[in-house]
Amino acid sequence: MKKAKQTTDPAHEENRDAIFEPMTFKGSGLKVGNRLFRSNLSGMFDDYCGHGGNARLNWEESFARHGVGCVISSYTPITPEGRILTRYAMIDNNDKIGFWREVAKRVQAHNALTIKKKEYPCRFIMQLSHSGRQQDLSGFENQYRTPGSSTNKKDFFHGILCHAMDKAEIRKTVKQFGEAARRAQRAGLDGVELHGANGYLITQFLSSAINDRKDEYGGSVENRARFVLEIVDSIKDKTEGEFHLQMKINAADYNDWLYPWQKRGNELEDTIRICKLLEDAGVHAFHISSGSTFPHPRNPPGDLPTNELLRWYDGMISQGVRAGFNYKIFGNRVTAWLFQKLWRWRRGTVIEGINSELAGEIKKQTDLPVIVTGGFQHADKIASGLRGELYDGVSIGRPLIANRDLPEILFHQNGPEEGKECTYCNRCLVNDLENPLGCYEIARYEGDSLEKKWSNLVKSVNSVFEPPTFPSGKDDLMPDETGPSDDDDEGSDDDEHEDDGEGQAS
Amino acid sequence: MSAEYRESSPLTPTEQAIRRRKRVGCLAWIVLLVLIVLFVRSCFRGDERQATEEAHFKYGSIGSDIDNGLPIALLNVLPKMFPEHLPAGTQHLGDLRSFGFIVEPGMELPIGFSIRHQGIRLAGLNCGSCHTGVVRDVATSPGKQILGMPANQLRLQEFFGFLFNCVSDPRFSVDAVLQEMRQHGHRFLPGEETLYRQVVIPQFRGQLLLRSLQIGPIFAEEHPSWGAGRVDTFNPYKYIQFSEYYRDGVPLDERIGTSDFPSLWNQGIREGMELHWDGNNASVFERNLSASFGAGATRDSVDLASIERIQKWMADLPPPRFEDYFGWKIDTEKAARGRTIYQTYCFDCHDPNGKQVGTVDDLADVKTSPYRLNSYTEELARLQLAYGQGYSWQWKHFKKTTGYANMPLDGIWARAPYLHNGSVPTMWDLLTRQEERSKEPFFRGHGVIDPERLGIQTDVEFYGPQNFPAWKFVVFDKTSQSYVPGNANQGHTGERYGTELSDEEKWDLIEFLKTL
Repeated sequence: MKKAKQTTDPAHEENRDAIFEPMTFKGSGLKVGNRLFRSNLSGMFDDYCGHGGNARLNWEESFARHGVGCVISSYTPITPEGRILTRYAMIDNNDKIGFWREVAKRVQAHNALTIKKKEYPCRFIMQLSHSGRQQDLSGFENQYRTPGSSTNKKDFFHGILCHAMDKAEIRKTVKQFGEAARRAQRAGLDGVELHGANGYLITQFLSSAINDRKDEYGGSVENRARFVLEIVDSIKDKTEGEFHLQMKINAADYNDWLYPWQKRGNELEDTIRICKLLEDAGVHAFHISSGSTFPHPRNPPGDLPTNELLRWYDGMISQGVRAGFNYKIFGNRVTAWLFQKLWRWRRGTVIEGINSELAGEIKKQTDLPVIVTGGFQHADKIASGLRGELYDGVSIGRPLIANRDLPEILFHQNGPEEGKECTYCNRCLVNDLENPLGCYEIARYEGDSLEKKWSNLVKSVNSVFEPPTFPSGKDDLMPDETGPSDDDDEGSDDDEHEDDGEGQAS
Repeated sequence: MSAEYRESSPLTPTEQAIRRRKRVGCLAWIVLLVLIVLFVRSCFRGDERQATEEAHFKYGSIGSDIDNGLPIALLNVLPKMFPEHLPAGTQHLGDLRSFGFIVEPGMELPIGFSIRHQGIRLAGLNCGSCHTGVVRDVATSPGKQILGMPANQLRLQEFFGFLFNCVSDPRFSVDAVLQEMRQHGHRFLPGEETLYRQVVIPQFRGQLLLRSLQIGPIFAEEHPSWGAGRVDTFNPYKYIQFSEYYRDGVPLDERIGTSDFPSLWNQGIREGMELHWDGNNASVFERNLSASFGAGATRDSVDLASIERIQKWMADLPPPRFEDYFGWKIDTEKAARGRTIYQTYCFDCHDPNGKQVGTVDDLADVKTSPYRLNSYTEELARLQLAYGQGYSWQWKHFKKTTGYANMPLDGIWARAPYLHNGSVPTMWDLLTRQEERSKEPFFRGHGVIDPERLGIQTDVEFYGPQNFPAWKFVVFDKTSQSYVPGNANQGHTGERYGTELSDEEKWDLIEFLKTL
């Protein structure tokens, strides 16, 4: 367990006690040392073919090192056809088990920050995912096929083509989910999560705005839920004991965020009915988000910087039939300004805790623990929802990218220092299309010039590659005879791999 | 890129879809562009061409809808905004029918109006307005339309007066007009309302106010009204086209020139005859051109091809046959006797083969009202001859005459009332000595034919299914014990003119005249 100083602020003490109180998932018996879950954060760090790499190990471990209760894996495709981006470690084959075993080992070696004396190893839950039609960069393997979905309709934002899966494809996909869960269990992971939110394949079946099938997988809530229930059955069948299984799901779709003529999709009542069906099927917890696309003004809640999109969205132009149009929108100052206004308007004014009330309703209507996502980075905000029984834990993404030591910060104080908070700019999200995942908000970095700030930003983002796969020996690191190397300039820091991306916050 | 290379790197489904979308997009842009071009061209397509000669006569443009075009939207709403300015007793109609214009089923505008698309839609008068009449056998009948017939029902002066009154009314404002247009379902295209607000309505008002000031003297109360079926052909020229020359005013003795609309059939045989009531021009084309300026065409806007098309059609347009309309029969025996009388008394001056037809009968002989003759002067003839200098149509035949022209009597049954000023309701009255002709007012404009006396009935106060008020023609002012200027039913009297024939001979002659 990390040692933490005791706080002296009574109000914060109460918040700390709520946040760092261990929890147990009744159904699976999984114990987590605190209420902070690292939300699923991806990053194109791995081998192209889906084998995990050293950077992924560094990445996942960096969160465990600072005391989160549980790491929910990066979006993990169960099949190459289900990729959203390339270079994400997959779980499509038994040959991936070895890598994930190593991930589990690295993560579980760290303990969660907790108020209890007992040690709680950091947990690792794998998010089993399939993109369906939301396949941003499909990779060359998928070049001549369209992804399967519940529908033949392309997605309305990027215009990515798809086809409605036939029964054989559905059966195959259901089985792939089951096999993936089996591999996760065999790798020693603590559980799996089904990504049924934010527009991916399972959402495409669940959402009344997307699913237009006329067979037993479309129409009523029960029919739309049939696909995910079959997946749950398959996982139950393929795994041993009560292997922890949680479901990430949209509390509501808000599918009409961009075009008002689009259907709104599932409302809270629909989701509650689906959750009850999942509860009956043996799911152990819910992970609540909202928004039927990714990105969506509500997920991750914040801005969508069009200048960054202009730099990094270009790769999408060949992927979706509307991406070129979007790129033009982002590239025109007037339309970009209008787009940002629309984005903010559709998001609303609340960012931190944007899904809390919705999660509270789901918690009230079901008997399962609820984890909620939504920009959390302040102890009082997190704790008030815990005390109010709106949820049992929070999943955190971008604020943890910005401040890897956020759990330690929250243990001692209400939140990051001024200027070090996550600004919800979503530059991390946009840069992820072509660059390593990290915090790209330059304003957060130390330095009295752009060069210095940028140098610190580069160090922070690239810290995921430290230590390298094949570290040099001490002798190798000595300056050579020709003088100092480029890395020995004023801004370099040999110890940055120890900081795990905290350079920007120091 | 070579074909081989393309084959080795086929398009992905997304690329295929993008290519399809681009093709569809290109096509859509082309279609949109074409539609925009077509729409703009449609908005500026000029006049609406008519397929048939008759339709062209009724609705074709003669060029009066360009410089002096009236915005159709305003023509539609003004009668509803200012019903009190409509002719008394016609408010219930609430549109251009109040002025005697004939609206055919399914047509937006009455006969006699052309439509021009010039960004907005403009209307202009054409030949059909003043030369399409209606005949009835009884007052309540809807009537039968005859093209080329004098528009005896048309109240042209009241139409212009209405427009002048509307734009002079203190309630006339851009906002009020726009509001009225909206209320009556006018759907503005983008920018159209601004166009109406900034340009169309102010220009319409300004133009009409100017015109009102120009021809105000003709509309003065002391002037006998044109009434129904009549017009002052040449005085408006003095006030509008030749306003510079007449800047000190038009002399009183030439200021009244009211006369009936003439018929337009059989114009071919009239070529070379002295045309207009006073015979001031022997060219059918020049006469037609002059009339088109009266209808609103200008030297630059006049559509010569259109006028020639109408002229060609009118050349052989047959007059209406008396027996074709209401089952009326002609007594052939009486008519045969009447033919003899016609040969003796009428043939020389009024038969197409007569020696005097198409020539001017000196006022000293015919002794009809002199006002129309006097309204056309040497100065006006000179001005008219100079008016077209430099234009292909330049007038060459206008001249001052000393009397009224003898015209063929074809279709005479449908040309009542008679004499140039329409002061004699029937042929029987015309064959009556002038001192015995009635000085009592009679009603005209109703088109109810008197098949016996051959002309119009005199006591029809209201007519048609709409109970439209006929116009009371006042011949004689009992207060001043004098004929109303320009309205005297005198002249064309004496043995030479058949007024000394016996009643039996007159009835025989009238029976024959029905056959013409």
